[in-house]
Parts: sequence; C-alpha cells; structure tokens
Amino acid sequence: MADVIENTMELEEDTQTGRFLTFSLGRESYGIEIKYVTEIIGIQAITEIPELPEYVKGIINLRGKIIPVMDVRLRFKKEAREYNDRTCVIVVDIKDVSIGLIVDSVSEVLTIPEQGIVEPPKMNKGFNNRYIKNIGKVGNDVKLLLDCEKLLTEDELEDLSEVQ
Amino acid sequence: MKKLLIVDDEAFMRLTIRNMMNHYDIEIVGEAANGVIGVEMYKEFRPDVVTMDITMPEMTGIEALKKIKAFDPQAKVIMLSSLGEEGMVIEAIRSGAKTFIVKPFKEKFFNQIIYDVLGI
Amino acid sequence: MSNGFVNEPMLDLFIFESMQLIEQMESLIIANERSGFYTSDAINEIFRIMHTIKGSSAMMLFNTISTLAHSMEDLFFVLREDKPQNVDYTDLSDLVFEGLDFIKVEIHKIRNGDEADGNPSELINSLRVFQASIKGQDSSPEAMNFAGQTDSHENPSPEKQQYYISKVSRETTSLQNTFQATLRFEPDCGMENLRAFGVVNDLGDLMEEYYHVPEDLDHEDSARAIGEQGFTLFLKTDRSWEEIHRVLIQTIYLKDLQLTQAQNSDLLNNQDLERKILLEDSSDKVSDSSNRDRVTRDFEGKEIHSAVTQQSIINVSVAKLDQLMDLVGEMVIAEAMVIQNPDLNGLELDNFQKAARQLRKITSEMQDMVMAIRMVPLTATFHKMHRIVRDMGKKLGKEVQLEIIGEETEVDKNIIEHISDPLMHLVRNALDHGIESAEDRQAKGKVQGGTISLEAKNAGSDVLVIVKDDGKGLSKDRILKKARENGLLYKSEGDMTDKEIFNLIFLPGFSTKDSVSEFSGRGVGMDVVTKNIETVGGSVSIASTLDKGTTITLAIPLTLAIIDGMNIKVGNSRYTIPIISIKESFRPKEEDIITDPDSHEMIMVRGRCYPILRLHELYGVKTEIIDFVDGIIIMVEHDKKSLCVFADELLGQQQVVVKALPEYIQRLKKISGLTGCTLLGDGSISLILDTAGLISL
Repeated sequence: MADVIENTMELEEDTQTGRFLTFSLGRESYGIEIKYVTEIIGIQAITEIPELPEYVKGIINLRGKIIPVMDVRLRFKKEAREYNDRTCVIVVDIKDVSIGLIVDSVSEVLTIPEQGIVEPPKMNKGFNNRYIKNIGKVGNDVKLLLDCEKLLTEDELEDLSEVQ
Repeated sequence: MKKLLIVDDEAFMRLTIRNMMNHYDIEIVGEAANGVIGVEMYKEFRPDVVTMDITMPEMTGIEALKKIKAFDPQAKVIMLSSLGEEGMVIEAIRSGAKTFIVKPFKEKFFNQIIYDVLGI
Repeated sequence: MSNGFVNEPMLDLFIFESMQLIEQMESLIIANERSGFYTSDAINEIFRIMHTIKGSSAMMLFNTISTLAHSMEDLFFVLREDKPQNVDYTDLSDLVFEGLDFIKVEIHKIRNGDEADGNPSELINSLRVFQASIKGQDSSPEAMNFAGQTDSHENPSPEKQQYYISKVSRETTSLQNTFQATLRFEPDCGMENLRAFGVVNDLGDLMEEYYHVPEDLDHEDSARAIGEQGFTLFLKTDRSWEEIHRVLIQTIYLKDLQLTQAQNSDLLNNQDLERKILLEDSSDKVSDSSNRDRVTRDFEGKEIHSAVTQQSIINVSVAKLDQLMDLVGEMVIAEAMVIQNPDLNGLELDNFQKAARQLRKITSEMQDMVMAIRMVPLTATFHKMHRIVRDMGKKLGKEVQLEIIGEETEVDKNIIEHISDPLMHLVRNALDHGIESAEDRQAKGKVQGGTISLEAKNAGSDVLVIVKDDGKGLSKDRILKKARENGLLYKSEGDMTDKEIFNLIFLPGFSTKDSVSEFSGRGVGMDVVTKNIETVGGSVSIASTLDKGTTITLAIPLTLAIIDGMNIKVGNSRYTIPIISIKESFRPKEEDIITDPDSHEMIMVRGRCYPILRLHELYGVKTEIIDFVDGIIIMVEHDKKSLCVFADELLGQQQVVVKALPEYIQRLKKISGLTGCTLLGDGSISLILDTAGLISL
C-alpha cells in the first residue's frame, strides 16, 4: 500500500486525466478517478451511527476531521466481509464532501488512454451498473470505472426506505 | 529596505494597496485604520512614504498629514483622493503632501507614484 | 477582472465592508426619518458612506455601483452644503433606500460570481430630479444654475476661482530669467489640473511671477485640456535653468518636460501678466478650501465621540474564528491525552499534577475567550427589521411601530446567520397577517397604530428571541380548517390543546397558495422558520390570544461550539449528554423499577414516576449491561419534561467541542436524538445526545 500512496503523491504534479486508482472487491477490479482521491489509509476504529443504511458504516476521526465511511461492498449489495489488514479506506473528496470508501484492497495507479475506455453495456438487471460510468481495458484486464458522484447521491431514498 | 505606511479606514483599500505594492525593496511597516493611529504609527516607524486616504472618520487625512508634517517636515505623504475631492487635494498640497493619486487607480500607476516619490 | 491584483479576499472584503456600510446607512436613515428630518451628522455620515462605496466599487471596476453611489453622494453634498429647508424627507428616504437596494442587488450578483449588470440610469435620473427640486426651491442664483449642470460638487462653487501662492514680494530682486515649461502627464493619471497646481506649488518661492495655460486650474475642463495639450507655465525667476529643471523633473507622473529659456523677457508681459500676478492680499480670489475646511471640521467633530469605542476593533473572517475554535478544541483533546495518559497510571506526580492544573486553567480560559470572540450582539439583526417594517407598513397602508428590546444580547456568530431569515419571516408575517388595518383596529377599540416588538434575553444556556404583535391573533377555527383541508390533522380536533393547534402552522405544507402576498407568502411557510431554528438546536413556540396578538418565541442555544458534557458508555459506543440538561444520575434499585402491561419501563424517584429509555435498545448497540442494577440512570430534563436514560456507565464530565455530523450523513437522515459528535481525549468519537429529541421520541 505504501508505494500506492507514494505513486499517488507523485501524481499530484502530473496531469491527472486518464489516471485511475484501482482497487478490488472480491475478484472484480474497479477504478476511481485519481482527482477525487485525497488519501488512502488502513482500516480504523469506526463509530457507528444508528438509523443509517447498512452500507454507511459510521464515522471516523481523520486527524481531527470527522468523515463518514461507506462500505463499497455493501453499497453494491455484495456480501459483507470481515475487515483485515489488507482492507483500505480510500478517502475521496467529491463536490466538497469528504467520504471514506472501504474496499478489500488497493491495487495501483493506472493510466488508461481514452481509446481504452468504453461505455458499459446496457443491462436491465444488476444494480452495479448504475455506479459504473465506464469500462477501462488494460491489456487483458477489465476495470470497472466508478461514477463517484452517483455513489453519493443515487437512490438514497430508496435505500433508506429499505432500512426502515 | 524602504518603509511604507498605509493609512486608510477601509480594510479593502489597505488590502488593495498591499496587493499592488510589489517592489521587493519596499516593506509595508504598518496599516492604520484612521488618522490618529496613522500619526502615531508614523512617529513609531518613521516610514519613507505614507499613503493617506483623505476621507476618514475621526481624523481626516488632511489633519493627519498636517500632524505628520509638523512632526517631520521631510515626510513624504501621498494622498489618496477621489473625484469630488479637488478642494481637499489642494489643501493637502498646500499642507505639504508630496502628491496625490486618484481613485480608482491601476496597479501600474500606484507603483510608479511610490517609486517616483522614493526616487527608486 | 482584468486587474491582476484583484483576488478573493479583496472581493470578500469589498462585499463585507460595503454591506456593513449599507446596513449602517439604513439604520441612520430610519432613525432620522422618524424625526422628520436628517440631522447634519447623519447627512455627513451618509455622504461619507456613499463616497467610500463609490471609491471602492470604482477600484473593483463595479461601475454600476460606483456611478449610482456617486449620484447619491452628490445629492447629499447638496444637502450638506446648501441645507435646503423644504426637503421631503420621506421621499428622500424612499429614493435612498431604492438606491441602497440597487447596490445590494448588485453586490448580491457579485457575490454569486455574476456580472453586476444592473442599470442605475433611471435611479440616477430620479436622484437628479430630486436634487434639482431641492435646489430649485433655493433662491440664490448660483443654486438655480445648478440643476442644469451635469456634474455637481466637483465644482462646489460656480464662481470663478483662482489659486494663489503666498510668497514674499521681492520687488527689489532683478529678474534674470524667463522660462517656458511645458509638462505632459501620464495619460489617465487623473486630476491633471491639480497636478499642475502641484507643480506651481512646488516651484513656489522660486518664481517671482508666473502665468500658465490653461489659466484656470480649477475646472475639470482644464484637466482634460492639460491631458490633451499639456500644461504650459511661463515664469520669471532669478534661478538658473538647472535649478528649475531639477524641481520640475521630480513631478510625479511626468511623462514629458520641455523647459526653454524665453528670449524675450517681456514674454510674460505680453501675456498680460500684470493682471495675473496673484498676490496674497488680492481681493477677488476665492479660496476653494473654505468649503472643504468646514467639511473637515464636521467630520472631526462628529466622529470623535465614536472614536473611543472603535479605535481598536478589527474585522476577522468567521472562517478564521472557526479554525481557531477547531484548534482550541484539538488542544483540549491533546491536553486530555497528556493528562489522562495511561502511562501515568499509579504514579505519584505532585509537580506534574500541579503543572497540569495550571495548563487546564489556561486552556479553559482560552476556550472562554474564543467563545467570547465569536459572540456578537443581535443589534444589527434587529435593526434590519426596521427597514422591513417601514417598507411593508407603507405598502400595506398599516401604521406599525417596531419596538426593540435587549438588542445588546449576544449570541454566537454562526447562530446569528441562522436566525436572521426566520426573524424576517416572522416580522413580515406579523405585519401582513397579524396587525389589522387602522379601521379594523379602531373598530375593535385598539390604538390605531400597531406595535411589533422584538425582544432578546438570556435564559440559562439559551437566548430567547421573542416576536410579539398586538394584532388580531390566531384564529383556531381557521387554522383547524386549513389543516383539515391539507390533511395535516394527526389527532381528533377535540383532543387538541390550544398550543397543539397553534403549532400546526409550523408544519410543512400548512402555508398554502391563497395566503401568498407580496411579503410573507411566496409559498414558503412557517415551517421554514422551524427548520432554520432547529438546525441550530433551537426551538420555536407560539402563544396567541384572539384580538390581543401573537407571541412567537425562539429559544436558541447561546453557542454551538463548546458544551459541558457528561460522557457515557454503552457497549463500545460513547455518548455525550450536555450537563445543562442532566438533573441527576444514579444507580437504580431493583424495587424502584416498574414495568407496565405494555412493557413500558419506568422508575420511581422520590415518589414520581419517570419513563426509562434504554440507549442500547434505541441505537441497537451490543452490551453486556442489560439489567438496570448493573448500569446507570441519567435523568435529563427539557422543557419541564423528564426522561431517564439508561447507560452502562459514566465516563466523566468534560468540556467538548461540538462538531456537526458529516454533511453526507445529515443529508441521508436526521437521526433522532443526535445533535452532533465530538472527539474524546483518546481520539475516539462520541455522539452527542439531543435531550429534547430523546424526550420527544
């Protein structure tokens, strides 16, 4: 993880377009635009907040700043998994909202050229789809590129009503 | 290092001047929000040049100018005036103001006047 | 913005200071309007404010604002100089308010990053017409002139003026040299005529006689002429070319200088010099400075009394205060981490403890000070309402007086921002719906003019802001009818207390389209008031008597930032309860617990029965402590209602820095019984309980 962070830092001076931080949830590999990422930390003590959707795990203390953390697995309605020392929190800043995304593990920072990015296929089922903006091809691998803004805004109402 | 003192009741104008003043060899030694403080600061810092707003509460720029000149006849004071203050500009010149600048002014003009007054 | 130096803080400062000045001016006008005329102090002050706004907006290239401010400045110049007798001050106030509104709108646009593109020409015209009208009624011929002039106080006196320089007559000196100097100034340097005057002044005693073109340095036209053709000075002196050149070359903004020795020493005479040599005792000169002298003195006299209080006040951005507050908060936490460090357990450290006490004392004083800095009086917020009452009263044809009590009461800056809008809404409502028309009032045997009072006072950790009118009061029947129509009745009408009925008006959806008026309607209802007040942890209550009036009370916490809290533990979770709402805490005895047939748990305390709330159940927290006797009961009170909260144990009392829950979470849901969170000494997060919320669960 340390080198990933280092890579991220170096990138600051570089142009950020086409750069993605990739992480994994189970066997799938996802990408998130590097411009949203502010830091990556290991999993830490989470204070639970009652009455929230299951995927909002609670809040954490990030050097005096209190930010919410979201379990991306649960957000995608995947099975919950125990956190371990590979579990990471990717802190992102989306439209001035800071939030930590809990992922299984962080992989690397990649440049995906424009021609390697395609729209996702239209699927009628599979709720994953609505958070995936594009699909990036890197060699033989496929990265699901997240739509960060939707992650925070989409279907909150629906999700809430499920909880209550 | 040349020393500049800003006397203006408006924080906005003080900041404007601060932002405009871009000479490496000029240091802003003080910002006074009215004439009374301006005169005190003059005595304390002995600046090489003063920018002095004319219309200020408590003690007008003209009064402050007179007090500064009485304390130090060599003082170099630049008056900040606006249209409509011609009469006061005249009084300021009579009272020993080095020169004046008319608001609104551009950065270039401001720096030029400071350099000219300081002879740099 | 083309100017490279313009940046965010400057713009912020411009907006902030201009708005402050406008507010100041509004209260001045309202105060003066009431007495039927403007005092000369007020006129001076308004003149100065407009002058300042003109200058700074011109600096920022906001021309719409600066031209309008210029016109208003002109008008007040006339008022100040001519002291006209027959001014309709109500019309004047209307006009000035209109002007201020225009500026406010422009500033609003600027704040939103839009172009300040309003067109002030109509307003400027009205100002001119008004100015002409007060001038026109003035009998002096020069004043009659005035209306026709396009520019105004730039030339305060239409009489021809000449400048003169005092000098010692040196008739005996032989004049050796005659020079012709032509100076050109940098284009756009401004007031070229006065720069020329400065040149003449600089030469001063060096000249024996002189003459210049243009002749008249007073007129703005000369400025233009000098800008275009340069300034030419003929002078006789006993000094050398070098000496004169040395002086002239130092002229500020000098672009070009030509200094030549005239061959013919009679040149000056040819220029009809005789008439032009201005001597000190010359009788036909008019000193322009006399007017301005008076101005200067006026300003001095007026401002001095306020000097004592204003001298050392600075403006600080709230963001910086927030940062400072955060820092102090972090310091408090760091202090706790040091003093309560587990490494110290079991050690006898007398000196350490002594030093720690000292540290604690200082940090607590620092917290108090930071809090004190953030406290601002409600004065400005209250006085803003004058304007609303005035404008609305006029429009609705109602005679209403605004009474202000306790404006010096202070609250946290953040809170002020949240209550300003609700207050405005309440005042508008009172005027629009509360106060009756003069006829109705007379018919009811009430005084013709209505009164709205705004009162602020401290009550414990709250500040109460009370908006009271002596209008028609709320009609229960009409409220019920409306609630019925909108499907807002949650229980049968017969069971509802007066208070419950009145509270219906705070429900979203109560205010309907048919109540829309220019002022209070606009589709937003009283629920906006409640919502705003609740965001700052306050509450709204209402009382009303038919035909007597309505009283709405806002209870607002003094501060949001730091509270004395009791930290408690439930399982692995920490919670903080504000000390102010805790009545007592105790370990319950088995025999005091009562469970009713519906499994509601209650406890008897000194003969009274209180409901128990199990926090672990409410928030679904896993804990070993299930039996009441193993845990602790904390009795909290709010608004005369009590509740016993059951937790595992008390962790201790501490001042905590209240932090809001992250915005993302607030957006998801308002969690019942939680107001925020705080960081504890060990870096863990504690959730702050909202007593009022818990009790109303």
